[in-house]
Amino acid sequence: MSANRVKDEPESVGVAGEALLELSGVTKRFGGLVAVQDVDLQVKSKEIVSIIGPNGAGKTTAFNLITALYRPTSGDIRLAGKSIVGLSPDQIVTRGIARTFQNIRLFNNMTVLENVLVGQHTQLKAGILGSLFRPPAVRHEEEAARQRAIELLGFFGTALLERQEEYVINLSYADRRRVEIARALAAKPLLLLLDEPTAGMNEAETLEAVKYIRRLRDELGLTILLIEHKLAVTMGMSDRIAVLDYGRKIAEGLPEDVRRDERVIAAYLGRPAREDQKAAIEQQEE
Amino acid sequence: MATLMSGTLLPPARETRLLVIKWVIALLVPLLVFTFVWNGEAAINQIIVGLFIHNSTLGSRYDWTTLIGATIFFVLFYGLLTALAGYAVAADSGRQNPIMLWISMVVFTVVPIVLISIVNDLFVGISFSVLVWVPYFLILRFWHRSRPAVASALPRLTPLNSEEQASLVRRAIAGGFWFGLTFAVLSLVVDLIYFFSGQYGTDSGILLIWIVLRTVLLPLAGYFLGRLSGGLALRHTLKANGKKAQSSKEAIDPRLNPSLLTGLSASRSREEARDLVPNDAPLNSSGARNFYLVLLFAFLLCYPMIDPLLFGPGTEGRLSLYGDAGRYVILALGLNIVVGFAGLLDLGYVAFFVFGAYTWALVGSPQLTVLTGLVSDPHIWSWLFWPMVLVAALIAALWGVLLGAPTLRLRGDYLAIVTLGFGEIIPIIAQNMDKYTGGTNGLSGIYSPAFFGVQWNVSTPMPYYYLMLFLVALVLFANVRLRDSRLGRSWIAIREDEIAAASSGINLVKTKLFAFGAGAFFSGIAGAYFAAKLSTVASSNFSFTDSVLYLSMVVLGGLGSIPGVVVGALAVYAINVLVLAGLDNIGSDPASFLHPGYAQLQALFPNFSFGNIRNLIFGIILILIMIYRPEGLIPSARRRRELHHQAKEDEEVEVGALDATPGSAEFEKEVRVE
Repeated sequence: MSANRVKDEPESVGVAGEALLELSGVTKRFGGLVAVQDVDLQVKSKEIVSIIGPNGAGKTTAFNLITALYRPTSGDIRLAGKSIVGLSPDQIVTRGIARTFQNIRLFNNMTVLENVLVGQHTQLKAGILGSLFRPPAVRHEEEAARQRAIELLGFFGTALLERQEEYVINLSYADRRRVEIARALAAKPLLLLLDEPTAGMNEAETLEAVKYIRRLRDELGLTILLIEHKLAVTMGMSDRIAVLDYGRKIAEGLPEDVRRDERVIAAYLGRPAREDQKAAIEQQEE
Repeated sequence: MATLMSGTLLPPARETRLLVIKWVIALLVPLLVFTFVWNGEAAINQIIVGLFIHNSTLGSRYDWTTLIGATIFFVLFYGLLTALAGYAVAADSGRQNPIMLWISMVVFTVVPIVLISIVNDLFVGISFSVLVWVPYFLILRFWHRSRPAVASALPRLTPLNSEEQASLVRRAIAGGFWFGLTFAVLSLVVDLIYFFSGQYGTDSGILLIWIVLRTVLLPLAGYFLGRLSGGLALRHTLKANGKKAQSSKEAIDPRLNPSLLTGLSASRSREEARDLVPNDAPLNSSGARNFYLVLLFAFLLCYPMIDPLLFGPGTEGRLSLYGDAGRYVILALGLNIVVGFAGLLDLGYVAFFVFGAYTWALVGSPQLTVLTGLVSDPHIWSWLFWPMVLVAALIAALWGVLLGAPTLRLRGDYLAIVTLGFGEIIPIIAQNMDKYTGGTNGLSGIYSPAFFGVQWNVSTPMPYYYLMLFLVALVLFANVRLRDSRLGRSWIAIREDEIAAASSGINLVKTKLFAFGAGAFFSGIAGAYFAAKLSTVASSNFSFTDSVLYLSMVVLGGLGSIPGVVVGALAVYAINVLVLAGLDNIGSDPASFLHPGYAQLQALFPNFSFGNIRNLIFGIILILIMIYRPEGLIPSARRRRELHHQAKEDEEVEVGALDATPGSAEFEKEVRVE
């Protein structure tokens, strides 16, 4: 474990000290296939940590393990010191973890506002009797929920606000990503998992996405764990980067260090490229 | 009064005049057909005579409740139509061609009235009308498509200032007043003809008074009703009063906030604009819908009292049948929760109905004595029906949870098969536990409910009819509340995407079990009612075929859409029980127009009767609907979007859209990325 750590570790931003999320020796086996092997990861409060790695490295599987869509074969996952292994996905949300998906899973035949309202499910208390009789408490709760949904949409500017009654299936791709994030925010999470939030976006949209992801940490105080393929994005935005390859963590540390790490380059570009790289570096030094 | 007269009652400005003419003719023609061609006039005369001259032969035919109930209905009926005339004149944007409207009115209202009067049966008349409506509808659609595609302008979404709002109300008043006046004059003419041809006989005195009163009152009523409907129309307009939206509700409701409305896509804003006034199709807007709902409510409430006046003898039989339709509505609404909202395909819904029926059957009948030795006095025990409805519903809900639990991890087809299994098992268990359930012969002598001063037994269907109305109203209310709540949203979320729902904090197990439980709860209510009304419960009453029937009601009406499911249930019931039996009745009557054809068919196919080919017809109708309108008769907006999203009408891109450069804000807005 210590062999993978880079020597200089940054001060964690915000509430320092305890890790908010801690994976220890997490392994996931699907029959004979080992998707994730003995991964350790710590995410401190208010950090932006990226997980990168080639396709098939087990990044989304790691996310699914954290959000309890899969159960780890071995190892432990702790949130704020308490183990979350064995909980159901909805319990994970109540504990304070929310996520978005790689290929946007919105409720297609509901409006933007309704999607965000569903996101608030854990924050509302109305049960079956409350729904039937609608006492004043429930009515206020619903009204407050609507207001909050509008505020959340407002985080992204006026684009979503103008379209709050639109069915999400009619929205543009970038807007749908934002709605998905708004829905995740609705659950008042401590930790936000973003699975390839800039996938499919062009440069302008990517820049905008980076800006609002930073604002999620700066303004809302969220801790963010992201999976990202665009190295420029990860380098520019993350406090720390962890690199997975074939299910193992092969490097972790500050962006500049990870970028130069040989194992990382080999993983992404393959062995011959690594040797080209070595040759280039030697040439520079001459 | 003079100023009022000059302002609103004199022939209005030209375009208003055209609108008034358009709508007065459109609404007056069906009303006149109803009143004079069919039984409307005769019914009203009978009411008048009955109310005031109770001794005459005509007057004593009907009792007080019938007369008063019928009076209420007719007052509401004519009043609402007058108000609707006012509303339509106010709400019409003037673009639609009057001729098209008149033809549509004739097809959709005059044809059924005439057909009902010919066959003297409500449902057979309506089903014959459907045979006319469907080809008409298809012709219209074909004609619309064959015309060159006019770039349909987005509906005019400009707010009205206070001057325009005032003229809206004036138009409504004009519409109502002229409608009332014209109708009064025309009825006066017809009645004078009747009078002078001596048809009124000894009752003519009272009727003459009535005619005079009516001629004076109708235009007056038209004025006030017009003003009322003008106010209603105002509530559905985009107002530009210069004030910012104050309450948060206005900020959210896109119909009241113009800026939000412009942000919607073309198809969506068309949907929203349909509810706004002015409008190209005012009869479709939500304001007009209020009129229909009140009229429907009055009709249902007063039906037992107007039936003898409109249809003649045989009310009791009809009431009993129509009351039964309500049971199907409740069952369909319950199944709608499971299948429509939560998306859990339940093929064994009849099982919960069985639980509900046997719960009351075991407690409220001599069987209780057999089982527990408790001797029950029918008069006192009957009161137990009311709490037992709740108990039956709760027991059914409990079984809903128990039978739903094993299905939780299954998807789609597998869930359907397990529920199908339960749907088969439960009736068979009921049949085999004959010590408790009376086996195949079932239990009889089940007590009817008790209520103050009301006689309930098999030969008095009226109390059961009202009980059913009450239960349906309760169930509808519960369903609407559930749909618009946190629970309803979680059901729909599960239907849309289970994983995303779980990742948003929805507990899948709990929510699905709630869906099963809530659905079963309503079938328990229907079961208890069924047991009490029929007074016998036998396991042969229940089978898998029933489960399929209930499912077909939900799918036919529109999955997940509450009005759709109600209509679907009534349609399926009408086809299966009423229409075909009615056709048989009419066909075997030698005097009817159907008889020759009917006799021919019987000669060709021995044993032919409409009842026998019921399943064939039902199957054909289902297949046709699934091909041409899979979203159901009245789909929820979501469902129509799901099934027709690829259709051209949804994806109209305005011409200038592709000029926007990719990457700019306008480009995103116009081109939908799928």
